[in-house]
Amino acid sequence: MIKKFLLATLFAIYGIAYCQPSHFPLNGVRDERPVYYAFKNCTIFRPGGDTLKNAYLLIKGDRIEAIGQNITIPSGTVVYDLSGKFIYPSFIEPFTSYGMPAASKPERQASPQYTSERSGSYSWNEALKSEVDAYKLFSTQPDSGKNLRDAGFGTAISLVRDGVARGTATAVSLAPISVHQSIIKDKVAACYSLNKGTSTQDYPGSQMGAIALLRQAWYDSQWYEKGGKDLYNDISLEAWNSNKTLRQYFEVSDKQMALRAQKIGDEFNIKFIIKGAGDEYQRLAEIKKTGSTFIIPVNFPENYDLSDPYTSLNVSIGVLKHWELAPFNAYLLDSAGISFALTADGLKDPKEFIKQLRIINRTGFDRQKILQACTTIPARIFGIEKETGDLKKGMLANFIIVSGDLFDPESELMENWTAGKRNVLKDATTPDYNGMYTLFLGRLPGKQLLIEEKGPGNISAFMVHDSSRTAVTISISGKSIMLFVNDTISSNDDFYRLSGNMISQNPITFEGTGTNKKGQWFNWKAAWDSIPAVAENGEEKSETLERGTIWYPNKAYGRIAIPQQEQVIIRNATVWTNESDGVLKNTDVLIKAGKIQAIGQNLDTIGCRVLDGTGKHLTSGIIDEHSHIAITGGVNECTQSVTAEVRIGDVLNSEDLNIYRQLAGGVTAAQLLHGSCNPIGGQSGLIKLRWGVAPEKLKIAGASGFIKFALGENVKQSNWGDNYNSRYPQSRMGVEQIYYDAFWRAREYEHTWKNISKGSNTPRKDLELETLVEILSSKRFVTTHSYQQGEINMLMHVADSMGFKLNTFTHILEGYKVADKMKAHGVGASTFSDWWAYKYEVIEAIPYNGAIMDQMGIVVAYNSDDAEMARRLNQEAAKAIKYGGLSEEEAWKFVTLNPAKLLHLDDTMGSIKVGKDADVVLWNHNPLSVYAIPLYTFVDGICYYSKVDDDALKIQNENERARIIAKMMAKKESDKGSEQMATEDEPEVKHCINKEDLNP
Amino acid sequence: MNTHNKIHLVITSLFVFGTNLFTSAQNPIPAKTSQEKTILFTDAVLHNGKETYESGILGIAGGKVVLSGDAKLIRPDEAAFDTVISLNGKHIYPGLIAMNTTIGLNEIEQVRATHDYAETGVFNTSSRALIAYNTDSRVTPTVRFNGVMLAQSTPQGGRISGMSSVFKLDGWNWEDAVYKSDDGVHVNWPSQVVKRTSNKEDQTKQIEKNLQELEKLKSFIAEAKAYSQLQQPALINLQFEAMKDVFIGNRRLYVHTNHVLDIASSINFFKENGIKIVLVGGQDAWRLTSLLKQDSIPVVLTNIHRLPMREDDDIYLPYKIPAILKNAGVEFAISCEGFWQVRNLAFHAGTAVAFGLSYDDAIAAITSMPAKLLGIDKTTGTLLPGMDATLIISKGDLLDMGSSKIEHAFIEGSEIDLDNIQLKLYNKYMDKYQLNQQ
Repeated sequence: MIKKFLLATLFAIYGIAYCQPSHFPLNGVRDERPVYYAFKNCTIFRPGGDTLKNAYLLIKGDRIEAIGQNITIPSGTVVYDLSGKFIYPSFIEPFTSYGMPAASKPERQASPQYTSERSGSYSWNEALKSEVDAYKLFSTQPDSGKNLRDAGFGTAISLVRDGVARGTATAVSLAPISVHQSIIKDKVAACYSLNKGTSTQDYPGSQMGAIALLRQAWYDSQWYEKGGKDLYNDISLEAWNSNKTLRQYFEVSDKQMALRAQKIGDEFNIKFIIKGAGDEYQRLAEIKKTGSTFIIPVNFPENYDLSDPYTSLNVSIGVLKHWELAPFNAYLLDSAGISFALTADGLKDPKEFIKQLRIINRTGFDRQKILQACTTIPARIFGIEKETGDLKKGMLANFIIVSGDLFDPESELMENWTAGKRNVLKDATTPDYNGMYTLFLGRLPGKQLLIEEKGPGNISAFMVHDSSRTAVTISISGKSIMLFVNDTISSNDDFYRLSGNMISQNPITFEGTGTNKKGQWFNWKAAWDSIPAVAENGEEKSETLERGTIWYPNKAYGRIAIPQQEQVIIRNATVWTNESDGVLKNTDVLIKAGKIQAIGQNLDTIGCRVLDGTGKHLTSGIIDEHSHIAITGGVNECTQSVTAEVRIGDVLNSEDLNIYRQLAGGVTAAQLLHGSCNPIGGQSGLIKLRWGVAPEKLKIAGASGFIKFALGENVKQSNWGDNYNSRYPQSRMGVEQIYYDAFWRAREYEHTWKNISKGSNTPRKDLELETLVEILSSKRFVTTHSYQQGEINMLMHVADSMGFKLNTFTHILEGYKVADKMKAHGVGASTFSDWWAYKYEVIEAIPYNGAIMDQMGIVVAYNSDDAEMARRLNQEAAKAIKYGGLSEEEAWKFVTLNPAKLLHLDDTMGSIKVGKDADVVLWNHNPLSVYAIPLYTFVDGICYYSKVDDDALKIQNENERARIIAKMMAKKESDKGSEQMATEDEPEVKHCINKEDLNP
Repeated sequence: MNTHNKIHLVITSLFVFGTNLFTSAQNPIPAKTSQEKTILFTDAVLHNGKETYESGILGIAGGKVVLSGDAKLIRPDEAAFDTVISLNGKHIYPGLIAMNTTIGLNEIEQVRATHDYAETGVFNTSSRALIAYNTDSRVTPTVRFNGVMLAQSTPQGGRISGMSSVFKLDGWNWEDAVYKSDDGVHVNWPSQVVKRTSNKEDQTKQIEKNLQELEKLKSFIAEAKAYSQLQQPALINLQFEAMKDVFIGNRRLYVHTNHVLDIASSINFFKENGIKIVLVGGQDAWRLTSLLKQDSIPVVLTNIHRLPMREDDDIYLPYKIPAILKNAGVEFAISCEGFWQVRNLAFHAGTAVAFGLSYDDAIAAITSMPAKLLGIDKTTGTLLPGMDATLIISKGDLLDMGSSKIEHAFIEGSEIDLDNIQLKLYNKYMDKYQLNQQ
């Protein structure tokens, strides 16, 4: 009871700390306390300097007054003896919403919302909230503040995690002080993300849309400053501009998004501070190249419950590998020379933070550096290093007291002082009661009393006689102690009730009086004797963790090293050249330096890997003109009729397993298209299937720019459900008008830029119209999703009258009806072999479409639009023989040379010709046969897939899986920690708002 | 090489159907049973649904196969046949049988008015594909064009979707077209697999919900079983009535499920209830071959052309599953989901051959095996004497798209018209552009 009272008093004393600035009117009598606090006999750890032993820390008010081994303690000082304890600076939490109002997401309406519903002259888009200032919204939150203090934090960088532009973050003290005194620095950074948060406005509906929105907003802010502000008022852009001088802080959800974020930054000469996801180690080289500073979480994945072999199949190798490697992230980032701070964000309870630091320490990462990443580094990153982060004279008195070395698993966080305010988890000034004591009861011989303290208030005691123990009732409060000893061991059938006080702390000694069963009074004394021997089981805990290897990508079928270019000769194969030579029998092909070097017979094999092509077929790689693999965060920006500003190339995912699967189907290149939900969609990404590389390296250097258009039911929203009937266009009539309107706007835009008069303001840069201007000036090429002849005809008229040529109609299932007109326009066709009946507009689709268009002289390709079918495009090509009777050679071109032509890649790809890229496939049969399987697939002369290698990778997969599962099961035995269920991965959702988006 | 000097069959075909190619938007006229002729096919590569005879011979009469086999061993009386046709090495196959399709129940995927494959509600045991089947679907002739002669039209959705029926893909009306009525009840097994979510509470909720769904099905089956024992129920429950034949083994129970966890538990559950199921989907079936073999559970593999369920899987796993099941002694059929897509059924089987299944087993997986699973194998699915003369003649290998070309097709001895809307449109535009067919 007394102890409770004492704690309550303590809290009351320091609780007053919710005081206010001294000049505020006060109700009552002033209670300011001009005293010092000194902490003596402790080890003081300074991340920016030496560690001091047996040192003093002196504080006054909220500041550090002095620190060192030889300092004078002024009069008027409360002195705490912290013998054996350690002092560290309190941690800085660099990413939190502490003190921010809870975000409530308004319920999304069933029908779409195309414009902002904010009142006030804010940005046109609800997701741009650059005007939000966290410091203006900040309020102290006693519970979460205490929770963070109890975890060791003294300062926080707090922001509103809502929106693509989130306004500014603030640096606040976590001390229990008034809101007015809490703000250390009002604006420390301007914050961004690619998540639109609580915005109910439809745009952006995809990650590429969010990127486009951010880029446009940056350009808008520049234009606004230079004159746009004379035309209208935009509070958000005003704030954007005034925040430009601040640090720029970007939250991402994985390593690839981190690369995307800094790519945006590079466009505007900004180095971001990036709040990462903890998987940065998986792309270390590229992460390093960003030059960004990182804030990384320590929420390593929990063990998975893999006791059921069936459900454990749900946990993929990639997930298992990340479980094993996540704790090494900090170590690996540091080894690569990347600057970062640590955050507790993502932990279920911030109190786990210290435990996680200890795990990081077991990865071999230096303790000093770990502590810097929680203190001096975040302070420096956010420009508050003069205030906090270290223990120096004049800095905020933010420090924690730990019972021992912080990294010792037995050590406890006892107190956290923030701005000079004490926060007690366990009173550091009270001694450690643990130990074996000699208990003298009156004149009886000394008995052995064991006191065990397992945490604040959790004390138990035992009488120990030889190897037996008897529980003793014990209560310690402040310095007084009570014991009730029922002595059954020594068989004299007596009990003792004892009361006393601690009379010495070193060694701990209690003295007092007591009575026995007969009511006789006597004096007693208990003196600390020794630390009892305990079974050593803590040793395993501090062992260095074993690190697995990182694969590229870090999942099934990843490799320890990305394959390299080779010099290879394919000997004696049947070679499908796609050139005038036709199909050459018994021919050798030499590939070297990524190119086809020679085609002939009996070529010199010196220095080459020789692949026997006898009985096998060598072709150029398949090119998929219409694909949606390897895209993150939605393939459609459905939310406006014209979204020419979005770019698939911004959101490549080089870790999509479909890349590897399609290499195994002979595919070497693909056009990744935007979806088909709006008349003018986004820009394509042209990639080669280079399995293992980082996203940017998938791109085909120097490739022409393409853009997706779409016609018909999808853009009319015909199959989107009854809530989607308000966006223009709702009929084919409107589709035409959208094009004319867009292109007239683009023409005017072009005109404006070409005719800037001196002294006039720079016009607004518009990413959407700029893209359309590229089309008008034949610098970007159009691939149009199309079905019915009427709309195909219409779009050719639009293009003719606006003065550009359409490049490709994709799907084009009624192309056969207007093949003559298409030929006249000079447009190509990329179609399906045999799809139909999936919607009204394809009821007259026929599988002879490709053959008819081909016979009419149109360049025809067959595409997949489907991750599975893409790996059987050779079979699809063969259907052009079945339906329409094409020759084998012509049919084969449907998936190789013709798509290369449609994508303007035929100067380097699409055929086996000396000088072209060594993108070749060796097949076990005629490639047009259903029985054909690729044996080797080369891209740029690099063997990214081979059957032999695939067999080895499968074994590697199995071994890795078994190894990590065994490790996890062993850990399950040893640490009985909480586990997560072995749940099934949801495949990445490749659409934005409804299922129709992926429809062909 | 036509050594018999008899009429070439192509002429027969053109004679019967070769009219109004460019004018009619209608489907072809169903075959007349009066067409049934006695025909002897010689010099054929005969695939009878079980094995192949490189030099095969097949005789049909009265709508049935009357002789079939190795030409070197059989010496038929040619005079007994109206027509003798030498096929010059072309291939004869049994008409393909497509299981688990929505043929006749779905006309245009995204036009709701054309959908008749899913009823509202959870337990729809009694709803019947039979009477919803549209013989005049524009899609059916395009599927027939590639050799599919029989199809199981199957309801979808709900916990119990309803009853499928097996149809000949030719006929004036559903009564005329049906081959086996109400052949099976289709159950979508309530999966117990938990999906990854960001918070653990959602996962706990999922577990509860999954269990509830399972309990609902379990009590439905228990009560249906009890009901089936009533001589005269106090009231008629249509859902339970439809289950009666399942309990006495006169109607198949098809269980649609894929995850190993669910396959194992569904087999055990129905076994406890005395029902031997047919597994549909069964992507994980290859992990449970000993259980499937021991309990003689056959599998309908829906779509060989699919991506593996899991990233860690063999990238070609779906292509390899048929061979794995075959080697393990598990019975299976290959099917192809959907309606228009079913025209590619043979190519799914072809891919299975590329990945280790024998050619004859691949043909069996789309002919004799589906017949067996559907319980129609006494009359169709193979071309052994006594069986229906339901067959197709292909110029080349049926399983390989580059060579597959069905020139003639017969259902129960009557030749059917292979024309379809797509062929009509092809001819119409080839004519418009004055192009030559290659």
